[in-house]
Amino acid sequence: MINAATLLTIVLMAGVTYLTRIGGYVVLRNRVLGARATAVMEAAPGCVLISVIAPAFVSRNPADLLALAITFIAATRLSMLPTVLIGVAAAGLLRHFIG
Amino acid sequence: MSISQTVEAAGNGSGSEFRRGVTSCAPVLLGTIPYALVLGAQATQKGLSTVELSMMTGLNFAGGSEFAAIQLWTSLPHMLLIVAITFLVNSRHLLMGAALAPFLRDLPRRKVFPALFFMCDESWALGLSDAKQRTAAGITPAFSPRYYMGAALAMYLTWVAFTTLGALLGPMLGHVETYGFDMAFPAVFLVLMRGMWKGVAAARPWLVSLVVAALVYLFVPGAWYVAAGAVSGLVAAWLMAGDA
Repeated sequence: MINAATLLTIVLMAGVTYLTRIGGYVVLRNRVLGARATAVMEAAPGCVLISVIAPAFVSRNPADLLALAITFIAATRLSMLPTVLIGVAAAGLLRHFIG
Repeated sequence: MSISQTVEAAGNGSGSEFRRGVTSCAPVLLGTIPYALVLGAQATQKGLSTVELSMMTGLNFAGGSEFAAIQLWTSLPHMLLIVAITFLVNSRHLLMGAALAPFLRDLPRRKVFPALFFMCDESWALGLSDAKQRTAAGITPAFSPRYYMGAALAMYLTWVAFTTLGALLGPMLGHVETYGFDMAFPAVFLVLMRGMWKGVAAARPWLVSLVVAALVYLFVPGAWYVAAGAVSGLVAAWLMAGDA
């Protein structure tokens, strides 16, 4: 079961990802990045990640907002696995009891 | 046992260098497995087949971008959006490769290019810190390709195997929203962002991204909020770098 659009998307994803992996070695190994370019490169992954999950921050469901707040606090203190477990449990339980 | 002691104990045998890489990666692997299972399960909820998901994790092999892609996935995927987001999420590899480059100068390119395919946050961090410790201990060459590949291949096989397992188990879990599994995404992303945290000033572009993305999500239909949030954050980073 392989869909053509899905396959093309995956191949293109893999292509640009490999370019980022060799790009630094090929292009940047003999250069020093400027302050602005470095700042943009360092901010980029976080900007993307927070944009992807932004809808969760403006949910109309109070249970979801409360679960997100709990997850946020867990993420500032705990490692990946406990944070995921707490987030999933909080969302599941709060949705069940608050609705 | 510190890494430099391990190096002395292991000698220069190629098999033991590979094993040393696998061993040092083991704690990271344990943390990766639940994350991989969640990605696989979520992918099947979005309509990807197990083969498609395995191809994605095996060919792309960059977890953050795969989580973002699956989150944005629709029955007819927004190809350009997903590819652009993949590039933005993985653009940190450019910096990582540049940091590793001085240690790769003595290696032939036919070895460097395949090795870089397996460069992920974990294998990069392990390989680079090992090379720095070996430099400090006076061991040459500083960069141990077999140590790096031990860590990298262990990560790769774990990632592909457990995302695939997650896809196989996914249909048995039912709809993720019912149980709260969808909260795994914000959880994973927030922990990743904490790992990137370099102080309030450096995080200001993230806040710009969050606000813009949330507003666009509320008022503009479609998935434009990701691109709008990401780009406004990057512009903010560029502007703020001037007064930093």
